[in-house]
Amino acid sequence: MRKVVLQGLLAHKLRLALTALAIVLGVTFISGTLVLTDTLHNTFTTLFGHVYENVDFVVRGKAAFADTTGDTGAIRKPIPQSIATTVRRIPGVAYADGSVTGYAQFVSRQGKAISTGGAPTLGVSYVTNRQLSSLHLSSGSAPTTAHEVVMDAGTAQKYHFVVGDRVRVLLAGPPQTFTVSGIVTFGTANNLAGATIAAFDLPTAQRLFGEEGRYDAINVLTSPGADKQSVEHAIAAALPSGVQVVTGQTVADEQANDINHALSFFSTALLVFAFISLFVGAFTIFNTFSITVGQRTRELALLRIVGASRRQVFRSVLAEALIVGVVSSLLGLGLGVLAALGLEALLKGFGITLPSGPLVFETRTVIVALLVGVGVTVVSAISPARRAVRIPPVAALASYRADDQESSRRRITTGSVIAVLGVAALVAGLTIPAIQLVGVGAVALFIGIGMLAPVVARPMSSVIGRPLARALGISGRLGRENSMRSPRRTAQTASALLVGLALVSAIAVFGASLSKSATSSVDNAISANYIITASATGGTGQFSAAVADAVATVPGVTAVSSVYQGEFEVRHSLSDVTAVSTDHLSSTVILRMASGEGAPALARGELLIDTTTASSDGLSVGSVVPVKFAQTGSSTMRIGGIFQANALIGSYVVGDRFFLAHFESPLPVAVLVQTEHGDAATTHAIDRGLDSYPGIKIQTRAQYEKSQQAQVNQLLGLVYALLALAVVIALIGIVNTLMLSVFERTHEIGLLRAVGMKRRQVRVMIRSESVILAAFGAIIGIIVGTALGTAFAASLKQQGITDIVIPVVSLVVFLVLAALLGLGAASWPARRAAKLDVLTAIATE
Amino acid sequence: MTTTDQRTNQPAAPAVPPAARAIDLRKTYGKGDAVVRALDGVSVEFEHGRFTAVMGPSGSGKSTLMHCMAGLDTPTSGRTFVGEREIGLLDDAGLTEMRRNQIGFIFQSFNLVPTLTARENITLPADLAKVDVDQAWFDYLVEQLKIADRLSHRPSEMSGGQQQRVACARALIRRPDLVFADEPTGNLDSNSSTEMLSFLRHSVTELRQSIVMVTHDARGAAYADRVVFLADGNIVDELLSPTPDSILERMKLLGT
Repeated sequence: MRKVVLQGLLAHKLRLALTALAIVLGVTFISGTLVLTDTLHNTFTTLFGHVYENVDFVVRGKAAFADTTGDTGAIRKPIPQSIATTVRRIPGVAYADGSVTGYAQFVSRQGKAISTGGAPTLGVSYVTNRQLSSLHLSSGSAPTTAHEVVMDAGTAQKYHFVVGDRVRVLLAGPPQTFTVSGIVTFGTANNLAGATIAAFDLPTAQRLFGEEGRYDAINVLTSPGADKQSVEHAIAAALPSGVQVVTGQTVADEQANDINHALSFFSTALLVFAFISLFVGAFTIFNTFSITVGQRTRELALLRIVGASRRQVFRSVLAEALIVGVVSSLLGLGLGVLAALGLEALLKGFGITLPSGPLVFETRTVIVALLVGVGVTVVSAISPARRAVRIPPVAALASYRADDQESSRRRITTGSVIAVLGVAALVAGLTIPAIQLVGVGAVALFIGIGMLAPVVARPMSSVIGRPLARALGISGRLGRENSMRSPRRTAQTASALLVGLALVSAIAVFGASLSKSATSSVDNAISANYIITASATGGTGQFSAAVADAVATVPGVTAVSSVYQGEFEVRHSLSDVTAVSTDHLSSTVILRMASGEGAPALARGELLIDTTTASSDGLSVGSVVPVKFAQTGSSTMRIGGIFQANALIGSYVVGDRFFLAHFESPLPVAVLVQTEHGDAATTHAIDRGLDSYPGIKIQTRAQYEKSQQAQVNQLLGLVYALLALAVVIALIGIVNTLMLSVFERTHEIGLLRAVGMKRRQVRVMIRSESVILAAFGAIIGIIVGTALGTAFAASLKQQGITDIVIPVVSLVVFLVLAALLGLGAASWPARRAAKLDVLTAIATE
Repeated sequence: MTTTDQRTNQPAAPAVPPAARAIDLRKTYGKGDAVVRALDGVSVEFEHGRFTAVMGPSGSGKSTLMHCMAGLDTPTSGRTFVGEREIGLLDDAGLTEMRRNQIGFIFQSFNLVPTLTARENITLPADLAKVDVDQAWFDYLVEQLKIADRLSHRPSEMSGGQQQRVACARALIRRPDLVFADEPTGNLDSNSSTEMLSFLRHSVTELRQSIVMVTHDARGAAYADRVVFLADGNIVDELLSPTPDSILERMKLLGT
């Protein structure tokens, strides 16, 4: 039997290749993602390990909150400078010196604030001790005066700075100009994953970051030969409460973990898309094997007559699938390495820069790729294999006519059950929420729909095909007939495209709703005419506090409100809190109070919560809740008012003075400006007034809304790009099926040609069939996808998706695109069909 | 159970069970007014070590008879035997085993697996049974059928006659109790037909194989020891030691 399988595969290399291609693509995506993730993980771990390998201990403030999964990692209070003196006196300590960090952003020669992608702009104090320092001077010298700064090599190279140049730096206070005294690298990298580094000498840094007399951390070196453990104990004993000492390795691990945590989000997202591609590929495999089993009916029956048992036939079909799966997976593994590089480039194109390092190829990647690739192929081939087994031996005889009334009623029932279960799982997954349930539900729903699709295939093909038939004459008519005559084949072929388009449509609906909701929340939260935010995309989003004061002096400005954001613990869980100016609150911010007071409560230092939180936590005006701030510790706050939920504002609001008192050197994330008139003259005046602050963006409310929409669209673009692979695989499936179908109908096509059909008419016939097929799949896919997207958006009502928008224009475009792609997919099979030699074709059975 | 062989006047073959046997075989299709009686109570024995031909016009039921007796189709009622084994009592595993070891098939066309070479096609029943081929027997068959130079070729690289000869070799490789041949010369020219039929005759006479051949070619049927005539689902006549002329005459009689 082995020979039969192998020879069979070799004889139909083309069929094999197209089938395998689907799996190759899916596995490539998976292994590419895994290679990329592993490489990045390794790069960061190595980087931080290298950086901290010489640091024996780090003394720092204890983490304020137990929950360290917030956006900014663990928040620590700075420690008094005197602790360094204490530590230095401990026997065994060779060196101990403090360091501070804060906000510092370079400005390019053209006046633009410099930042890369989502990375922060770091200001640090320069650590002079060579062993302890994580920065290595590549040229120039360390900063020694208050006017010197050291720049990271990445920024220097990209923006053409050399030692001796003057550079403007944005700070918490007004911007200042410094001289570049040296260029540094972070460990061996030009910068830390894109973060820029500005290093000042310690006293200057303390002053610039508002930490006079304090350090953020103290790095400690032990004397050679000292017992590290006892030194650590001695240090710990000498520290006041709230301050801790940890090993350098601990810090290295923490920092690597933080970044890897953020990266894992990416890798999970990419893997989801990879699995979607494979899922679509599974449909293709199923199709191909179904058709080829049908075509080999006589051959398989012959094997049965010669004495092959049912099990041998079953195993031979699966063996074919196994071989295809293994070969494809191996190929996909290899290509995955290339794909990792491609993915890096793709992410870079969307503004996400990642550090490069040697590609890491782990055993885990090989195992996953093989298991998944082979698994999907074999599982998809099981059903066709079962059908192969049911071929009666007598089918080998020419007189046999297959009875094609396959248990359609059973298929309909099973399909309906699976689809209903899928919907149930989806609904459950969306309400709980449980993302795995959503995934399982979606898979089940698609499988169920795939089984039910044949039911509507014939009537829909008929309707879709009618205009084609009328426009294209006999060829169109025959094309329409062909797609109607085996609804099962039509539906199966179109299923993969159905899935692809459903996903694309769901994303489109979700994206449109997200976009509209973002706009609505802006309209419902802000009444100010102008909104000032940081121009850097990503980073902390903070900018200089001096901006608010500066803009207040611009003529025509009637009210200015700074907005701050931070984290705090409320009722023992970590949450975000927003702070707004209490003066002129109503001019700039819209707080629709459901009960209690707004600005007056804030001025009194009370907490405002939104309606969602109030109802879910059972709070009302006057309730007192326990809170904890990083800098000031635990206390309580009174609920002064409850406002209508708004995604832009957040769930918790405090007054700006309260915020400034409870957070360490806070910087605003937005400044809202109300003016007498919102005209061009006013805009111009504000621009001029804020000329010396290049790190910010001044937008009218309308412009701000547009930029929110643009952000959503950018993300959508990335998602579409990732889904594109699934669509490509679906199209490969269509090409494959059409080729096989043409092969099957060789005799019939020969007959048509013998009776007088022109080559061109044959091509048109095949092409129209394909267009009908694609349109059929697209229509159902779009309908299902719209429902899915709507459900998804609706389930996120609490999280801020208030509007549900169905982008009809986009959906129509998708439909047209699908039809065109179907047309394209048919070009090769059509040409093949037209080139058939008439005599040979007729002679074929 | 035994008959005298009138051609050679030899004593009839010893009391060996018949190679295949059917008892009151019926096969109907359809219902009510559209009912078709393909086999209407056929009882027949095919002797061991004999070459039997089954003839009849289209629709006589000769193919149906063969399918039922070979276990390829299930009769509506009646019993069939190959050797001592009753086919109706066999499950799929039993049927499969029978196809490997006890029955050989030759069809009019599409006998060979297109992707295998001639050699691989011939040894296929043994490979499926996971047993070794009797090499001496293989060589003998190949030499007798004159296909030695075609062993490494695929069916598409052989003429119709060569393909049928390869099929013969495959049918006989396991020395089955019975060989069923369904119009084996239907697609062949007269030379190839003669070659093939001579070999079949030889295998019966010299090698004691049993062959049942369905055909409507009088010349081909003349190679048999006995011809059974079917019409409208019933056995209507029988002819021993046939010649082409005697067959044609008998067919003319039946035609009226």
